[in-house]
Amino acid sequence: MSTKTSAPTQTAADQAVSKFLEYTHASTAAYFDACVHCGECAEACHFYLSTKNPIYTPIYKLQPMLKAYKRHKAPLSSIKRLFGLVPEQITKQELEEWSPLVYDSCNMCGRCTLACPMGIDIAFTIRKMREGFVAADIVPGDLRQSEKNALETGSPMRVQAKALQAQVRAQEKDCGIAIELDKKGADYLVILSSMEIMGYPEVIGSLAKIFKEAGIDWTISTKAYEATNVGIQIGSWDTARTLVQRVVDEAEHLGVKYVISPECGHAYSALRWQGPNLIGRSYDFEVIHIIELLHQLTTEGRLQMKSKNGRRLTLHDPCQIVRRGGLVKEPRALLNDVADHFEEMQGAGITNFCCGGGGGVSANSRAAKLQASAFECKMQQFNDIDGLELIVTPCANCRTVLEDGLEEHDSPLEVIGLSELLAQHLDHRQT
Amino acid sequence: MGHKTFSHAKLTLNSNQLSQGIAGVFLFMAAFLMLGSLVFPTNAKASSVRPPANATINALPENSSPQPAPKATGGFVPGNTLGNRSQTSFWKSVRDGAIGTRDTMQAFPSPLIQSQGQDWRYLRNNYISRYGGWLLIGVTGLIALFYLIRGRIKIKSGRSGAVIPRFSLTQRVVHWFTAVLFILLSISGLILLFGKHLFIPLIGKTAFGVVASASMQSHNLFGPLFIIATLTMFFVFLKGNGFKLVDLKWALKGGGFFGGHASSHRYNFGEKAWFWWAIILGITLSLSGLILEFPWLVGTNMWPLLAGLAHGGAALLMIAFAIGHIYIGTVGMEGSLEGMTRGSVDENWAREHHDLWYQEHNKEATGDHPPAKAQAATSKG
Amino acid sequence: MTFLEFVEGPAWYVAITIFTIGVLWRFLGIIAIGRRTDMSAPKGSASAGFVKAIFRHFLPRTIFAERTRVHILGGYSFHLGLFILLFFAAPHVVFIKAHILGFGWPALPRWAFIIAAQAAFAGLILLWVRRICDPVMRQISDWDDHVGTILTFLVMLTGCLALQESVEALRALHMLFVNIWLIYFPFSRLMHAFTFILSRGYTGATYGHRGIVP
Repeated sequence: MSTKTSAPTQTAADQAVSKFLEYTHASTAAYFDACVHCGECAEACHFYLSTKNPIYTPIYKLQPMLKAYKRHKAPLSSIKRLFGLVPEQITKQELEEWSPLVYDSCNMCGRCTLACPMGIDIAFTIRKMREGFVAADIVPGDLRQSEKNALETGSPMRVQAKALQAQVRAQEKDCGIAIELDKKGADYLVILSSMEIMGYPEVIGSLAKIFKEAGIDWTISTKAYEATNVGIQIGSWDTARTLVQRVVDEAEHLGVKYVISPECGHAYSALRWQGPNLIGRSYDFEVIHIIELLHQLTTEGRLQMKSKNGRRLTLHDPCQIVRRGGLVKEPRALLNDVADHFEEMQGAGITNFCCGGGGGVSANSRAAKLQASAFECKMQQFNDIDGLELIVTPCANCRTVLEDGLEEHDSPLEVIGLSELLAQHLDHRQT
Repeated sequence: MGHKTFSHAKLTLNSNQLSQGIAGVFLFMAAFLMLGSLVFPTNAKASSVRPPANATINALPENSSPQPAPKATGGFVPGNTLGNRSQTSFWKSVRDGAIGTRDTMQAFPSPLIQSQGQDWRYLRNNYISRYGGWLLIGVTGLIALFYLIRGRIKIKSGRSGAVIPRFSLTQRVVHWFTAVLFILLSISGLILLFGKHLFIPLIGKTAFGVVASASMQSHNLFGPLFIIATLTMFFVFLKGNGFKLVDLKWALKGGGFFGGHASSHRYNFGEKAWFWWAIILGITLSLSGLILEFPWLVGTNMWPLLAGLAHGGAALLMIAFAIGHIYIGTVGMEGSLEGMTRGSVDENWAREHHDLWYQEHNKEATGDHPPAKAQAATSKG
Repeated sequence: MTFLEFVEGPAWYVAITIFTIGVLWRFLGIIAIGRRTDMSAPKGSASAGFVKAIFRHFLPRTIFAERTRVHILGGYSFHLGLFILLFFAAPHVVFIKAHILGFGWPALPRWAFIIAAQAAFAGLILLWVRRICDPVMRQISDWDDHVGTILTFLVMLTGCLALQESVEALRALHMLFVNIWLIYFPFSRLMHAFTFILSRGYTGATYGHRGIVP
C-alpha cells in the first residue's frame, strides 16, 4: 500500500480512483453509506460560513471519493450497476476542478464531525482522499514544493542544521542557559517546526528556561529537528512515513525516553497518532506534547509560576491538539495558572474555530483569498470578547496565521505561544 | 386572534364565546354567499342562509326520478303507511324545527327534525360546488388567456448575475411546508367536493366510495397540521405586509401587468393581498375545519352546517388565488421562483419588480457611504 | 388469489427476504472491508468511544443551533412518530403477531395513532421542504434522497388512508408500497437507519483511542 506501483497504462484518473478505493476502509464506507445529506456540516465549516457558498459544504468536498466508492466498492453496487444506478467514471478534469475544494477549502480541522448527526469524520476522509490527488499529481504547486524541500533538506522551509545551530546559540546567549545539541541518553528530545526555528526562536529560549526550572534533561538533534510533516498535509503516505521515520530513527539512536512534540498542531497528530501506523510499528519511546509535559510538571509542583499576566487574554485551540488530539483541559489549566483575566471565546475548546490555515492551506498561496475570508469567523470570535488584548495559542502555524489575519484587519491584538507565555512568568530572581 | 378564541373555547365547550368568535369569521363567508346569490340569481330564492322549508322540495333535481311521486290529496297519504291520514299542520311545524321531547335519545327538549341539513345540501350543491367549479375553471382560463397574450414576464434588462437575499430560510421552509399541506388538502378536498361528479361516471360508486373514504382520512389527518402552518406563516411573513399608499398606486396601474411600471416595496399590492387573503381564508378554513372534525366542540347542529359551507367556500377561493399565485411564481415570471428556492433573487429582477425595496436594500448594504446610484434613487423617491 | 392476498402473501415474503438479506449484506459488507488496527499508544478506550459516540450524536451541540434547529424538530418529530406508528399502530401489532413474531403487545388507541401520524408527517414534510429550499441541501442532494423520502411518504400516506380499516383495496395499496419500500431500502440511503451505528461508532473508536469523543 505504500509503494508507487502504478502501471504506465493507467491514466491519472485511474490512479486516483485506485488510491480512493485503497483508502476506503470500513469506517470510510460507513461514512459514505450513512450520510443523509442533511448539510449540517456546513454550519460548522468556516469556509462555508464566511462565504455562504454551498460548494464549501464539507461532505460535498468528498464527492469524487464517494463516487469511486459507489461505483466500485460499495456492497450491493454490482446489483445497482445492472440497473445503471452507479455514478459515472471519474475524469481527470473533474479531479482538477475538485482540487481547490480538497486542498484550498479544508483545514482538516474536523469541526464538521461535531455537527454531523452521523458523526462522520470528514476531515480524516479528506486526508485519505488527498492520497488519490497525489497519485494523479493534481496537487497545489506550493505544497509540492514544500514536500520536495522537506524530503531534500528535512524542512519544508529549507531550514538547514546550520541555521538551527545559529538560532540555538543566539538563544543561549539571550537566556544565559547552555543548550546541548545531539546529547545521547538525554531523557527528552525536543523537535521543532521550521516556523518556530526561523520565526519565533525565542521558543527555544523559553523551553531552556522552563526545563532548567523543572530540572529536565533534554536535547535538540541536528539530524532530526523538524517536527512538521508535509506528507500529512499533502496526503502522501510515503512522504509522511519518510519524515516520521527520520524522527523515530534519531530518537531511538539517541536513546531518549520521550520525544516532545512542539507547539504545532499537525506535527502532534503526525508523530503521536499517525506515526506508528505510518511506519508500521510502535515506538521505543513515548511522544508527549509540550502542553502535556508542562501540565504534568505544574501539577507535580516541579514548575511554579512566580507572577501572573494582568492582560485580558484568550486561548485559541489548535484543532489537531485540542479537538482531534484530546488536550482540552491541559492548556486551560496552564493558562489559569498564569493569567488574571483569562476569558474563553464562544465555542472554546472542542467546538472552537480553526485559524483557517491548517491542513496545508496556509502553505498554499492559491488558497490565500479563501483563507482570508475564512478568517472572518475567527475574527468575529475575538471581536466578541470585550477588551481583549492577547491571544495565546500552542501552535506556531496558528500563530502565524492569526498574526497575518490580525494585521490584515489592522487589529492591535497580539499573539503569543503558550510555553513562551509560561516562561515569562518563571521569575528566576525571586527563587 | 382566531387562535386565541379557539383555545379559549376549548376550555368552555359549547360556550357563546366560540359562536361569537366564529361568527365574525363567517360573516364574510355569508357576504360571499349573498354576493353569489345576487350575481347568479336562480329560480330558487335563497337570499338567506335559512331558506323557507319548502325550498328543499324545489331543490330536488327535476330529473332525479323518472316518475313523479304520488301526490297526497286531502290529507290521505299514499302507500302502505301506519295510518292513512297525515296531520299536516303537526308535521309542518315539526318540519319547521319545532321543539319537543322524544322517547329516546335526549331527555331535554330539542328540535325533532333537523331540516337545516336539507338547506345545507342545497347550498352546497347549487352554489358552492357549482359556482366554485366555475370559479376554478374561470381563473385557470383567465390565466391561460393572460399567458397567451402577455407571455412570460421576462427580466427586461436580463440577469445581472448579482443576487440579493429575499426570503430567509425560515420563511422558505414555512412557505413550502404550508404549500405541501395546501396541495395535499386541496387534492383530497376537491375529491370530496367534486369527486362524485367526476369519478362516479369513470370508476363507479364502489370505487369512488374507497377514494372518498381515503380522501376524508387524509384530509382530517393533514388539516390540523395546516392550522399550525397557517399561524406560523402569519408571524413569519407579517413584516412588510402592511398596506401603504404606494400599493394603491400599484393597484391603479394594474401592477404593471399590462405594461407601464408600478413601484413597490418588498411586497407589492398583489403579494400583500394574497398574504392577507391566505391568512383570513386560512383561519376560516382552520376554524370551520375544526368544527367539522370535532363537531362535539359546538352544541347545536347549526354550526357544523355553517362550517361546512364556509369551509367549502373559503377553500375554493383560496385555491383560485393559489392558482394565480403558483402561475406568477413559476411560469408567469422569470426569476420569481428562485426567491423561494434559493432565497435570493437577481438584482435586475428586484429593480424591475420591487424598485423601492431594491433601493432600501442598496442603502442598507452600502451603509454610511451610499454610492451615487443609491443617492440618485433616494432623491428620486 | 386476490390482490390483497398477493401483496400480503408472496409479494410480502419476497420483499421481506430481499430487505433482510440486503440489509445484512450491506451492513456486514461494510464491516468486512476492514480497517487498520491503530498502532499508536492509546490514551483512552476505542470500544468505549464507539459506544459513547453512538449516543453522543443523538443530541446536537447548541453552538450549531441555527442550522440544526429545523433538523432536530423535523428529525425527531418524524423518526419518533414513525417508530410509534411502525410498532404500536393497532393493525401493525396484529400483522406482526400474525406474520412475523407470533406474539403481540398492546397497541395505541386511535387518537394517539393520529397524533403520532401527524408528528411523523409534519417532520417528514419539514425535512423534505428543507431539502428543496436550502442551497446547501440542494447542492448535496441526489435522486435517492427524493425517492427515499417520497416512498416513505407514500407508505405512511397509504397507511393512513386505510385508517378506517373498512376497505380491502386501501389495505392492499398500503401493503404494495410497503413491499416496494422494503425492496428499495437496502439499495438506498434509507440504510442510514442501520449504518449510523457504524458511522458514529468508527469515529468514536478512532478518537476514543485518543482520549476524546467528538
